Amino acid sequence: MSQLLAQSAAAAAAAVPPGAADAGMPAAEHPPPAPAAPALLELVNVWKRFGDAPRQMVAVTNVNLKIAPGEFVTLVGPSGCGKSTLFNMIAGLLAPDSDGSVLFGGAAQRDGQLLGKVSFMPQRDLLFPWRTVLDNAILALEVEGVPRRAARQRAEAMLPEFGLTGFGKHYPHQLSGGMRQRVALMRTFLFERDLLLLDEPFGALDALTRTRMQHWLLDLWTRHRRTVLFITHDIDEAIYLGDRVLVMTARPGTVKSEQRIDLPRPRDPAIVTAPEFVRIKRRLLDEIEEESRKSFLQEESRA
Amino acid sequence: MSRLMPATPVARALLRSPLFAALALALAWELAVRGLAISPRYLPALSAVLRDAWSVWPQLFASFNRTLLETLLGFAAGAAFGCLAGITFSYARLMERAVFPLFVVSQTVPVVAFGALIVIWFGNSLLAKVVTAFFLTFFPVTVNTLHGLASCDPQRIALMRSFGARGPVMFFKLALPSALPQILVGLRLGIGLSLVGSIVGEWFGETLGLGVMLIEAMNSDQIVRIWVVIVACGLMGALLYSVLTLIERKIIWWRAES
Repeated sequence: MSQLLAQSAAAAAAAVPPGAADAGMPAAEHPPPAPAAPALLELVNVWKRFGDAPRQMVAVTNVNLKIAPGEFVTLVGPSGCGKSTLFNMIAGLLAPDSDGSVLFGGAAQRDGQLLGKVSFMPQRDLLFPWRTVLDNAILALEVEGVPRRAARQRAEAMLPEFGLTGFGKHYPHQLSGGMRQRVALMRTFLFERDLLLLDEPFGALDALTRTRMQHWLLDLWTRHRRTVLFITHDIDEAIYLGDRVLVMTARPGTVKSEQRIDLPRPRDPAIVTAPEFVRIKRRLLDEIEEESRKSFLQEESRA
Repeated sequence: MSRLMPATPVARALLRSPLFAALALALAWELAVRGLAISPRYLPALSAVLRDAWSVWPQLFASFNRTLLETLLGFAAGAAFGCLAGITFSYARLMERAVFPLFVVSQTVPVVAFGALIVIWFGNSLLAKVVTAFFLTFFPVTVNTLHGLASCDPQRIALMRSFGARGPVMFFKLALPSALPQILVGLRLGIGLSLVGSIVGEWFGETLGLGVMLIEAMNSDQIVRIWVVIVACGLMGALLYSVLTLIERKIIWWRAES
């Protein structure tokens, strides 16, 4: 382990421009959670490069992060910053480069070992048009081998909670965008894993529907207390939902800083106008602004 | 425009139906032949064709059934083989590289040359015609099955993988249903070709069938009889195609909406 860390430090020093090297775990506003509670998910110096040397594209560099059980962590960053690459690695769909590792429940995960351990919800709802709402929701259960009837009963009982009462026998094309997204979330929830991985689930919805869905998601989370890692490019959404907001830099992406959100829960949608909320938002905006300025300067000096 | 369209929905549906188009074509045919005094050598009147069909009705009916049987058997065999081949190719890339080119070459062999071989191998049996029909059917089904399976949405595959799905589960729950529309395209192409195959197969020796009637009519210069066979083939093709369309609507109804 220590050898690995030394290696990774060397790699980071070699590949990352000065000033960015120490960005992995910056001085947070508040101390990180006590190490007594073991992290559910831990990323240690995770990199992902595509292609070979001359035209190599570095999507993700030196990502270190820890997520404690029951925590709601949001990850915010500009588009194209490697968020989705990072996500695919956490879902087990993509192997990280060999200089880093992903630990789940304290154990290092090799290629493909994470598959089936994380409830993953991609940006698009990806509902199967030939399945009803109910049958879409139980897709993961069917894959696991749960008998269809039992699975349907479990899903049926969850319909009201997801605002889909009476829609169990409908087909995806008969639903609105918000409802389709709730079916996808229900499918993710029914695949009962400790970690929920949500990739901009409300990105395609209109602003009003999105606000309603965020509120509803918080409600759901309060009741079920699953660990959530939620990706978004919307700062308001990140602050409103999260216990912690991680800020990612532009490509090559890395976690630049983290911000603990101490706003009291349950949070009302109107909290976005509270002075405390605005203060946090301004600080995050400054950071992101600084980041984009830096990468802009870098590009200019290179030119 | 609205004045030209009939007001009732029933009439409008009738106007749009293929049956109406067929009747209109038949009427135009009859009127054109009479009005323009076209020589029966080039185009006999539809009424004359129908009269001739009636005069040979028992033979025509038996031939129709025989050719239909050959077509259906050849089509079923070709469809089954084509699907299996497409699935095999999509899962075994090596097989695709090695064997698929042979499939392509097989389709460049003229079916007439192939027919001679078939007679040598299978004699004048029903099987010979079925094999000819099969020969023309399996290729479009293979190509479309392969294409349908290959164009499965990668994000859906990723989602299923994240649930831990592999192998047969992935195939039956995702790959096959999403390939079905494309497979049906292959079947639609195959059904017409299968009919051509069985008719050509009959040319190499048979006593019963639409292909036999066609050859006989050509040899004895019975122009009207040729048209009888053409209309019969057209009817059979339309029948088979519409049955297939009905089946398609039943099993992949979701396609229209997504």
